Amino acid sequence: MSKVRSYAWLAWRAVVPHPLRALRRRGTGEERFLANYAAERLAPTSLDARAVAEAASACISCGLCESGCALRSAIPAVRSLGLHAAFRLHAKSDEMRAHGADALAACASCTGCEPLCPTGVPITRLVRLLAAR
Amino acid sequence: MAVPVRDRAYDVVVLGGGVNGAGVARDCAMRGLSVLLLEKQDLACGASGASSGMIHGGIRYMTSDRRVTEQASRDAGYIRHIAPHLTFRIPFLLPFATHEEGSRLLDRVTWYATEVYVGTYDLFQPLKGGKPSTRLSAEELYRVEPSLRPGLHGAVTLDEWGIDGQRLCVLNALSAAEHGAEVRTWTEATTLVREGGRVVAVRFRDAVTGEHGEARAGVVVNATGGWSPRFGRANGIQVPMRPGKGVHLSLDRRHGNYGIICTAVDGRQMFLMPHEMESIIGTTDDDFFGDPDDLDATADEVEYLIDGAASLVPSVRDARITRAWWGVRTTLFEYGVEEDDLSRDHRIYDHAGEGSAGLLSFVGGKLASFRAQSEELTDRVVAMLGRAVLPCRTHEVPLPGGDEVPSPRELAARHGVPEAVAARIVFRHGSLAREVLRIADDDPRMKLVVCRDEGILAAEVAWIARHEKVRRLQDLRRRCRLALGGCGGLDCARPAAQIAARELGWDADRLRAELSDLLEVGWRERRPVLDGWQLAEEELLRAVHRGLGGL
Amino acid sequence: MPGLRIECDVLVVGGGMAGATAALAAREGGARVVLASKAPGSTGLSGGAVSVAQDPACMPDTPFAARSGVVESARRIAATRPGHPYRLLRDRLDRLWNAIEFATGQLSAVLAPPTGRNRWILTPFGHAHPAATCHRTMAAGDLAEVRGTLLVCGFEGHLGWDPGLVASGAERVRSLGGPASRHVLLDMFRWEDGALGRPFDLARMLEAPGAAEEAGRVLRRVLARGDAAAVLPPVLGIDPEGRVADRIAAEAGIPVAEFLSDLPSVPGLRLHRAVEARLAAAGVEVLRGEVRAGAGPDLPATVGGREVVARSWVLASGRFVGGGIERRGELREGILGLPVLASEGPFADPSIRFATRPPASLTLRDSRAPQPLLAAGLRVDDALHPLDAEGRVLHPRVFAAGAVVGGHDPASDGTGMGVAMFTGWLAGRSAAGRDA
Repeated sequence: MSKVRSYAWLAWRAVVPHPLRALRRRGTGEERFLANYAAERLAPTSLDARAVAEAASACISCGLCESGCALRSAIPAVRSLGLHAAFRLHAKSDEMRAHGADALAACASCTGCEPLCPTGVPITRLVRLLAAR
Repeated sequence: MAVPVRDRAYDVVVLGGGVNGAGVARDCAMRGLSVLLLEKQDLACGASGASSGMIHGGIRYMTSDRRVTEQASRDAGYIRHIAPHLTFRIPFLLPFATHEEGSRLLDRVTWYATEVYVGTYDLFQPLKGGKPSTRLSAEELYRVEPSLRPGLHGAVTLDEWGIDGQRLCVLNALSAAEHGAEVRTWTEATTLVREGGRVVAVRFRDAVTGEHGEARAGVVVNATGGWSPRFGRANGIQVPMRPGKGVHLSLDRRHGNYGIICTAVDGRQMFLMPHEMESIIGTTDDDFFGDPDDLDATADEVEYLIDGAASLVPSVRDARITRAWWGVRTTLFEYGVEEDDLSRDHRIYDHAGEGSAGLLSFVGGKLASFRAQSEELTDRVVAMLGRAVLPCRTHEVPLPGGDEVPSPRELAARHGVPEAVAARIVFRHGSLAREVLRIADDDPRMKLVVCRDEGILAAEVAWIARHEKVRRLQDLRRRCRLALGGCGGLDCARPAAQIAARELGWDADRLRAELSDLLEVGWRERRPVLDGWQLAEEELLRAVHRGLGGL
Repeated sequence: MPGLRIECDVLVVGGGMAGATAALAAREGGARVVLASKAPGSTGLSGGAVSVAQDPACMPDTPFAARSGVVESARRIAATRPGHPYRLLRDRLDRLWNAIEFATGQLSAVLAPPTGRNRWILTPFGHAHPAATCHRTMAAGDLAEVRGTLLVCGFEGHLGWDPGLVASGAERVRSLGGPASRHVLLDMFRWEDGALGRPFDLARMLEAPGAAEEAGRVLRRVLARGDAAAVLPPVLGIDPEGRVADRIAAEAGIPVAEFLSDLPSVPGLRLHRAVEARLAAAGVEVLRGEVRAGAGPDLPATVGGREVVARSWVLASGRFVGGGIERRGELREGILGLPVLASEGPFADPSIRFATRPPASLTLRDSRAPQPLLAAGLRVDDALHPLDAEGRVLHPRVFAAGAVVGGHDPASDGTGMGVAMFTGWLAGRSAAGRDA
């Protein structure tokens, strides 16, 4: 198929089928876009959520926060993840956050972790924000 | 462990364990041929392991031949069918930008043309289970992606599939092995043996054991990718190729759910996109004349990519970049053409005219079309062998684990592991996640978490070491992304090495050597982007591994 | 309104080993000292070794007994490493030992006394690490002192440490005068909480009443004739008062020690707490928080809601982990805006401005080599005053100590704690107006 025929085909689509399809469609572009991806939890990310992600990026995986975590009620498997999984694994994506909802909700906001973080990750606030979403 | 292969004969010897090598090994094995696959490093160490990680439907070919687009989209659909657990949606935004205030008529015409073009691609989306495109106004665009810089005029959206390209290679190789192929990694094909104008055997050397061997072959398939020119020179054949270096950057986490298509400073199209647990900025394309074993990302390439992404998403400059990675594209040779304008088509060279009958070389192509490319190669191999074989079924038989995608919640409850970890195991192993977790059932100590960036358990490391052709610790980078996250291996390298050592019988010296190798490889990737928190991480990494570990 | 504004003689920024040593050294002379600490840094993440210097000139097969002592090793480093702080301070290296003794003496609750020779302590990676001293809970595992077989232990129930790997570190130095070794798994931590416990959890479990004694009984059951000492994973309690290692040893009838720790580090936390306790006991006023709006001596600086005016400042804010130096596009010192000039290797040349160079040009491909970027910091004179690009002292009463001082990559040269203690001691005394 030559290039000329391809371009001719595209030009025809620009004039006839594409506008026709647009006329028949329901809903705005935004509505259709969001509906396309709702089932897979691929939703828009607010600037606040981006700020949370950026704050979580300060974690250097040292594990000191765990020594200050008063949490005793989590099951051993979740304790094995360690507290900083909250802003590593669980904070990586909306899907991971949904999977970690129980672990995130178990935080008692005792803030025992916060003064121990060398890079100043706002741990308690982050965990609360992630759990709330 | 390995059966001595001296003087063994195979129908096909495949050189190269990238996606084409593994794909053709699978197809040949499934059709009933005896196959030996030789890969001089680990599976997916070349372009297949450094791709952008997407299987797309060839949208750019609608201007030259829409049958190629149709075929590419259909084949992407096949990949989705045989490995559904490895694929994930990435919605892309193609924002409309101008350099000055307001827009001219020409801009609006261009935007409409883009909308039509992408809208036409919707015709092919059903072939791969893709979603239709939409057009967003400026207000809608900023609601959907608030991090974009002001002054944009709207966008067209486009649906593509992301994939773990390295696991795709690995699963193809494992499937080939399941069908009787012999897969040897860290084994380099050194010379071709000829008799009367035919290639009849391949000599090889195992880099780990030092063992030499020779395998007789009915047909030899050269799928060595970026190493083809070098292999060709060493063996007296011509493999015309224009190797192209491509660099990507990884950010430590997803920042949004949509990919953004940006324009770099030189007008090239590039992207910033979420990809599984991280974000990726890509890519460059420059002629490469050097040694594919000896590449680094330059400061210019790094800055080029950040600059391009920041042109639409300024906050990317504050994000944590964890590493830079690179590969060499095996682009078809053409003289006098700019890199981006080179064809992404593929070609199969028959070297009969060069006194090497029975040798085929594969050049070019795309990750997304690997299965069709492998089918075409296998058809050629079968024709050369002149044998009747089973029909090709690579499009319908699932890859290992691809037959069912279990529910992470159910697995987490049944096996007593965190749900997020179960989800990652399902992503990597599909239905085989149950087998992986059975290891933890039998030995509860194996529920120890090894990696908190990728959600890896000791049980998974053991499974991978037992079943996924692991010979070196760095192979785990490609099997389960060990030490690839921001932590650089700080809390996962030693525990994983200990598990692998138990499974593979490494003594302490070998364990330390493997750890050292893993860290060295990671350093090469982290070095060009050390900044901000990643630099603090590096300080800790060095204190632990060099200072304390003496590695 | 009482106490919102503090006037003091010395403000120390940073509560790690360097800052604490400086504060305690200044306090010893009776100065009023305020220390600003935002969070633990590399000291709180350390593995338990106090590394000062190892002889750069000795061959790998030189026996322990023939190796230079700590101070002599430091002299040799001073002679061979142009950018290193030991070189800069070579005329005062005769005071290095005073500094080490001072700092370890202040922290004698946790640290074993230094002997002048390096101790050799095992690490989880199967390596023997030389250090001027270590935690008290580790001293019995000094490979240069064990006479008999060293029993290297892991836990049956927990995959976190591989005693065979650890013991290989001892095997490798046997010909240097180290002991014979064997390894064993202790039947401990086999229930679910134990198998999946993080190091801090295991340490707390061992602090529980009777737990250490039970561990001692388990250990005694596996002892063989000839075993002279046992080393265990580094989880032998967080609080030194708990005396977990001693209690295990008493029950088992054999000296018991920990090996060094990677991360998460129980010894690191232990040391951090000991430092905090000592500062409080010595009457150093510790303010929690970052130093904001700080301009220097005699000017008010805001720390944790209080205003501090100090006659002298000691900047001991650490490097990248501690946050004293950061790189966001370019290298910066964040509190006083001092120029980051110093490094080691080819960048020790003061005419090279490397603060803006890209990371690839400040690092070397060989990851084992000392890395200029990881050695970045302030350039100082031999009185530890930070200098500008022309070599001029920026302020006569500002001093720098520890990792914020450039010229050493601790991961490559094993001098991190030594530099921290030495520069901290000198800077603290100078800031308090005492001669050094």
